[in-house]
Amino acid sequence: MSVRRTSPPTEALPPALEAIAKTVIEARLPNGLKVRLLPSNGVPTCSFYTFFRVGSRNERPGITGISHLFEHMMFNGAKKYGPGEFDQVLESSGGTSNAYTSNDLTVYYEDFMAEALETVVDLESDRMRSLSVTPKKLESERQVVMEERRMRVDNEIAGMMDEELATLVYKAHPYRWPVIGWMKDIERISRADCLEYFRTFYAPNNATVYLAGDFDPRHALKTIKKAYGGIKAGPAIASVVDSEPPQKGERRAQVRHPAQAPSLLVAWRGPSAGDPDTLTLDVLQYALSVGQSSRLLKALVFERELAVSASVDWTWRFDPGTFMVSLELKPDADPAKTEAALYEELAKVAAQGLTERELTKARNNLSTHLLRELATNNGRAHALGSYELMLGSWRRGLELAARYESITGAQVQAAAKKYLSPERRSVVTLVPSEEVPS
Amino acid sequence: MSARATVLKLRPFKLPEREKRTLANGLDVYLLRRGPLPLVAARLIVRAGSAFDQPGRFGLADFGARLFRRGAGGLSADQLSDEVELVGASMGGFANEENVVVSMSTPTKHLGPMLDVFSKLVMAPDFPETEVELARRRTLAMLTNELDDPSSLADRALIRAVWGEHPYGHEASGGKADVERFTLEDLRAFHRERLGPRIAQLYLVGDLDPDQVMRWVERSFGAWSGGPPAPPPVPQWRGIVRPGEIVVVDKPEQTQAQVRIGATGVARGHSDHFPLMVMNTVLGGGFTSRLVTEIRVKRGLSYGAGSSFDMLSGAGSFSISSFTRTETVDTLLDIALGEVSKMRARGPNPRELATVQRYISGLYPARLETNEAIAGAIADVVHYGLDDEWLSLYRERVSAVTAREAARAAKAHLFDGPARVITVVGNAQAMGPKLERFGKVSVIKPSELE
Repeated sequence: MSVRRTSPPTEALPPALEAIAKTVIEARLPNGLKVRLLPSNGVPTCSFYTFFRVGSRNERPGITGISHLFEHMMFNGAKKYGPGEFDQVLESSGGTSNAYTSNDLTVYYEDFMAEALETVVDLESDRMRSLSVTPKKLESERQVVMEERRMRVDNEIAGMMDEELATLVYKAHPYRWPVIGWMKDIERISRADCLEYFRTFYAPNNATVYLAGDFDPRHALKTIKKAYGGIKAGPAIASVVDSEPPQKGERRAQVRHPAQAPSLLVAWRGPSAGDPDTLTLDVLQYALSVGQSSRLLKALVFERELAVSASVDWTWRFDPGTFMVSLELKPDADPAKTEAALYEELAKVAAQGLTERELTKARNNLSTHLLRELATNNGRAHALGSYELMLGSWRRGLELAARYESITGAQVQAAAKKYLSPERRSVVTLVPSEEVPS
Repeated sequence: MSARATVLKLRPFKLPEREKRTLANGLDVYLLRRGPLPLVAARLIVRAGSAFDQPGRFGLADFGARLFRRGAGGLSADQLSDEVELVGASMGGFANEENVVVSMSTPTKHLGPMLDVFSKLVMAPDFPETEVELARRRTLAMLTNELDDPSSLADRALIRAVWGEHPYGHEASGGKADVERFTLEDLRAFHRERLGPRIAQLYLVGDLDPDQVMRWVERSFGAWSGGPPAPPPVPQWRGIVRPGEIVVVDKPEQTQAQVRIGATGVARGHSDHFPLMVMNTVLGGGFTSRLVTEIRVKRGLSYGAGSSFDMLSGAGSFSISSFTRTETVDTLLDIALGEVSKMRARGPNPRELATVQRYISGLYPARLETNEAIAGAIADVVHYGLDDEWLSLYRERVSAVTAREAARAAKAHLFDGPARVITVVGNAQAMGPKLERFGKVSVIKPSELE
């Protein structure tokens, strides 16, 4: 096992962030498990995060949604702690747990009173070592996930539109299908699929754990080493091929559903998280949609009164992600007019870039956002873990504020021109209909 | 009490000391200094929330408070936005049932100037006519669009079915007919007559120097005057108005039913607070609650299920919330109602009790990790007149609840038989026959909740 006191510094950090960076302890077990410890004594609680490098990106047609269904199965019993015991033992030790699945990652966490550290590590390592997937539990959990899909997609307009959009933006890449999976696939995923999935992706060499909070680092490392050390490394994981062809023109789709007002989703395929342009698009995202003085809110919501809300989602992903604008329209607004108004605003950025004041504002808000993420044990573990997975090291995450400082108006302008062009966009329109879909 | 706390061996947890200072105009200021991040949260609370809106003008407090940010002290909406957002701060107002809340978050180095802007929002909103009309059109559109969200429709229907004509019986946002009616004079009168330093408290938490901050607060808020001398009272409540009834909001396109069950609860600060909270956590709190176990884990009927006591000044309600596919709506109701009766009859068992006591008290410090959360917790103590040890002895009080106390609280405060209302959003025709045996069913359209 190798232990290091922190990554070598590359950029100077502001004092509050340097103080956090200095505390980080890194280790790697012989089976490949990466361990990061972030001790602090703010409150007598801890957060323990486990990041698995697997998400819907690693699926194939026929078993879409298995990553997410599997995330649910992780709470249904392993060798030492049987069905129902994970949450029971955790809650009775003063803890709680949750998890999420994204296109790229599956992430589990526990928040707990400091005294429960050994129990939590025991619970987490038990399910990594010896998860059991019984036919009965699989069937019951399948029903829960189908109900979740009904809630988030089939009975939720935003969910329907998101799902439609991804199939437009991606033709070949697995980002094409929804993280929750197609209903027919959820119905058919087999126990054998689950077991193979577990063997492949839930091995220690595909995981990174982060512990933040009130603990003794020496003791914590010893506990983690003892619990996880005996778990065998898994096979090397096949890389996901990005076969996405270049887009040759605008793509459009409609969703017809009973609704009070039309709605618009417009998206462009952006760069991958590791690409420097990603940070430039962060700045653009803030300038367009964060705060009442941002361009889209000002133009579309307050001045032209076409939309009641406007937001931009730019989530970093391993492979080229989606820069997405959502506009919730007024009941009497004309979608075509609204769409044209959106493109006008984007064209202005592509033609003239941002003002110095807008750049400063975006940087300051990005930097405040970063600080706020770090205010809790849970937030620190999650933020630094996500940065490590997406950018290659947690320290690069803490350096973001400095990196945003160096982004120029010309770079934002170039990125807007390069990525947000008419030929690269995909558009989903919600068309309110009276009739009930069959 | 202390015996139990010893068993739990809780590590010490103490918030930094808070200071209270009062300006000459009566404004109470609470300051709490903590680091290490260079951020400060401020929250100003005035007892002037939606419960004090007059019939015909429901939603006025929320509409007015949201307009504070759209023109104040001679600064236009654009000027305010630009000034605040430039430094990475955020601020704005809204109303909940009881209070108008104006909050701010800012990097410490901009605290002085941001407090000046903040005070303009509170003391000198301009209500520019163009902004008022813009906000009216936008609010009306949002109220209409909300009818597409089944979950918020179910909540809307429940508030009305539970509270009826009581001032808590309308949403803070009001309805379309109200919003269409607000005049400029209504807004000015709302600000002039319902807000004032004697019924307000200012909370400042974060990386701050109390003496320096007080100089800024004096400068910014010292001239605030007027408003009521004392908080207005909330009228008495006799409990739910339509026991035994079922209100179905018809959305024929739904394949899933959103379900709520509502009943009479208790006011904030009730002497049974801790037994009740512990008991409710067993019933519908964490992932091992009885509702989650029976509805989700054992039967796969839903993705989520929970129960809660909403405790306000003078009165409170109890509710259960879940959803399931149309075909199983009656099974879900049977289970939820059955779990309430079981809990009411026997209370939690000792193992359940021990689990949730550790669960609540172990995680309690994590609920007080951010400046915003601490400001909110202190504000609750002040607003509801809770005792001084509320936060510092919270974990010990949770740990001290006995099985007998929890059972007694269940019997005293959970609804019995049909003393509840049910609201369901979904396909009325498909669900109709399944719901009749639970009580008198009435079907309404989503537009009736506008």
